[in-house]
Amino acid sequence: MKRERLTAFAALAVGLIFLSPVLYTIWMSFQTSDAYYTGRLEFTFDNYATALGQYDFGRYLLNSVLVSGAVTLVSLALSVMAAFAFARFTFPGGNLLFGAVVATLMIPSHISLIPNYLTLAKLGMLDSYAGLILPAISNGFAAFFLRQYIRGIPKALDEAAYMDGATPLKVLWRVIVPIARPAILSMGLFLFITEWNSYIWPLVAVGESELYTLQVGLARLYRINPGEGFLDWPLIMAASTLTLLPVLLGFVLVERHLVRGITMGAVK
Amino acid sequence: MTGIALRDIRKSYPNGPQVLHGVSLDIRPGEFVVVVGPSGCGKSTLLRLIAGLETTAEGEIEIGGQPAGHLAPQDRDIAMIFQNYALYPHMSVRENIAFGLELRGMPRAERRARAEEVAAILQLSPYLDRKPKALSGGQRQRVAMGRAMARKAGVFLMDEPLSNLDNALRVAMRTEIKELHRRLGATIIYVTHDQTEALSLADRIAVMKGGHLQQFATPDEIYDRPANMFVASFLGQPGINFVKAEQLPDTRGVVGLTAGLRPEALMVHADRPEGASIEGKVILTEMSGAELIVHCETTVGRLVVASQRRTLTALPERIWIGYDLDEALWFDTTSGHRVQPPAESRSM
Repeated sequence: MKRERLTAFAALAVGLIFLSPVLYTIWMSFQTSDAYYTGRLEFTFDNYATALGQYDFGRYLLNSVLVSGAVTLVSLALSVMAAFAFARFTFPGGNLLFGAVVATLMIPSHISLIPNYLTLAKLGMLDSYAGLILPAISNGFAAFFLRQYIRGIPKALDEAAYMDGATPLKVLWRVIVPIARPAILSMGLFLFITEWNSYIWPLVAVGESELYTLQVGLARLYRINPGEGFLDWPLIMAASTLTLLPVLLGFVLVERHLVRGITMGAVK
Repeated sequence: MTGIALRDIRKSYPNGPQVLHGVSLDIRPGEFVVVVGPSGCGKSTLLRLIAGLETTAEGEIEIGGQPAGHLAPQDRDIAMIFQNYALYPHMSVRENIAFGLELRGMPRAERRARAEEVAAILQLSPYLDRKPKALSGGQRQRVAMGRAMARKAGVFLMDEPLSNLDNALRVAMRTEIKELHRRLGATIIYVTHDQTEALSLADRIAVMKGGHLQQFATPDEIYDRPANMFVASFLGQPGINFVKAEQLPDTRGVVGLTAGLRPEALMVHADRPEGASIEGKVILTEMSGAELIVHCETTVGRLVVASQRRTLTALPERIWIGYDLDEALWFDTTSGHRVQPPAESRSM
């Protein structure tokens, strides 16, 4: 009993250490900047109002949600289908193709930055949502990860579904996807967060401020100084809080699906 | 009801050995055929070829008189029950049973009714809303059967459906499968390595070994007139005894033949009996209910005798094994094929 309480206390302490920067960010975001710089305590919602009103963070938030949402959905759909094909079908060149998909994991994203930029420039897709979304939708890691997971699902389930009259797409949609749901949701969350945090590509691909994502907008805050040579930290912290909240929310929503394994009872 | 014809089916895997060397079977509509053989004899591959889960390399498959080799599994009007059941883990029993109907576009109300009807037959009604993980092994087995039955397919394929069950359940399910066959009247092709299942279930048994069909006949025919020594030894428990004719005292002069003596055709005697007999020593005995299985070391090698337990009292160490060559099966020692009994044995 005593031991358990000690463990719980230790876990709480470690958790607080990890959380402290986030908690400090939120704490600071509610202070007025005068109070922050003079060391007084004075609370306000003005920082949020300024971020959303004067600096257009509502727009950035919308852009981030749209871009990250679209990237997550499209790349999940693509990689689930690719994973199913690689896991279940043998076709000429299949191994080579899979090797190519895995090989993309070894290319640092910064190397493709300039080629991607030039390609999209030629296609006239810079400064557009398509330009933000398209380069991110093929994800070799997602395809690889999901393939491994699908290979772990007994093939007899596919075969049973084929015998029941399913087409390959039906097998994927009605059997594989529901069973692989924990893996697919985890991967979805991962893709969403990765795209949400993506900074370099949105910075390069977009010049017009209506298309800024939160990360780009946040970086701008450092440069648009209201005063001379001084940063409005509470404002930046309010914008940061706006940036991290949706991800936290997404995690809470998806989290309960992550742990559940549901293959039990399928085969003996 | 659908018949199935297989003509000269050959199958080999890429970079692997050939698993089927020209198998032909003519399965009549409504027939219960058991394909039996040791592991690796190609029986499961044969079943998967009929299902369409493997593609034919060579040969023809006809289902209901129509060539079917080119058809995808979903177009063959075949239901299959898998060894490990392969139930959809994310669906309830009801959904598992009705999934095939849904895929074939049956309206919701109708497929619900059908699923409930099937569940009632299989005594699954109380479990319709459970997921497979909340069922026992026997119940899962039944769901797998229900899934196949709901579709009223013309042909049922069963790939060792009972091998994951414990013995009591296996015997009970065996009876149920036989009753089910009578009720449905569908053609059933049943794969097993268990000779007891084969003998008790089949209208006709196909015995396979090493990718070759050894014999395709009724259980009686297979047991009483096996095509060769392999079939004779594979069916029957305990296994048949083989004795070379040259070693038997009363068949001197017969060369190149082997006598097959079923354990139940032999008798253990404490004293030398009237007729033909071999002297031997008891090595060990096994009780199996009504019978006592006696393993003996004799002048012609190890012999196994199945005796009515009631007729036996305490066995002395030295015993005599009485036999009747009229009941022996005769095989060519080199080829293993069954042959007519030699004249010398009949005269005895």
